[in-house]
Amino acid sequence: MDKSQHTDYQSRTFPVREDMPYQLKVWRFERWGWYALVVVVLMALLGLFSRGPLSVREAQSFDRKITVHYEIFHRNGSTNPMKIVVNGQESAPVALELSGDFFDGFSIESMQPEPVKVVSAGQGIRLWLQTDPQGQATLYLMLRGDGLGGYSSRVSGPSSPPLILTQYILP
Amino acid sequence: MDSVLRAAAMYVALMILFKIAGRRSLAELTTFDFVLLMIIGEATQQALLGDDFSLTNSIVVIVTLIALDVGFSLLKRRSSIVSRLIDGEPTILVENGKILQERLRHARLIEADLMEAARSSQGIETVEEIKFAILERNGKISVIRREDN
Repeated sequence: MDKSQHTDYQSRTFPVREDMPYQLKVWRFERWGWYALVVVVLMALLGLFSRGPLSVREAQSFDRKITVHYEIFHRNGSTNPMKIVVNGQESAPVALELSGDFFDGFSIESMQPEPVKVVSAGQGIRLWLQTDPQGQATLYLMLRGDGLGGYSSRVSGPSSPPLILTQYILP
Repeated sequence: MDSVLRAAAMYVALMILFKIAGRRSLAELTTFDFVLLMIIGEATQQALLGDDFSLTNSIVVIVTLIALDVGFSLLKRRSSIVSRLIDGEPTILVENGKILQERLRHARLIEADLMEAARSSQGIETVEEIKFAILERNGKISVIRREDN
């Protein structure tokens, strides 16, 4: 239907003064806006705003001694879990260091199990976990995003090269 | 600082989102629409205050919102372009008993919406009795009855 010919698209002057070309632009904006809303919903479902398949990551050090399960996208004020699995000697303390921008952007709400010892080390902390008879120790952290933007954290063991994790906190 | 930024961002975001939703979203419709608007209000409040429920934060947020609102209304007075952009313009939907179907389609309305407005405001029974039905800027449909000759 040719818009310029159809009488519906002609601007009336009584009882209100209309501007149909402008109104058509407004309606077009509404339609495209609706498509944008759908895209935002899909992105959120996929996890691009935290908590979803695209946000969950697993990183492993080269020597496979440290494995970290974490979320790339976080929201300011909201909490997300992080799981760190460390391999070391059986039934002995194994050291783990969290440094980099980690504590600039996040605060640790909870840490399970309680580490054997925790000390501050440079920009971050160093902690010792007791391994099980198989030589594995798992640390469950609940992180709260307090900052904004990108943060590069380092997770390292005594002999392993550091794992660099990049995380983003959304407002 | 963050209170003002949150309030300003929320104000602008809501303005854009309600523009996308269209004029009818602001007029009270069914009970469900009313509840939906209340839920949106609740979600907005959470984002504005966060976990800071101090008096200072509340007042700063409210002051920011009112300042922005007054600022925009002053801007609307000075510029008709801004006024049209923010508030929109009324659109005629029924003219002399005839429904302008293309306009109804664009406005995402159905004939039942028109007749409901006609019945509740003017006690009108059929479309033929309507001289003009206008979708106002605030989303309400105002109906002018046809005079009998």
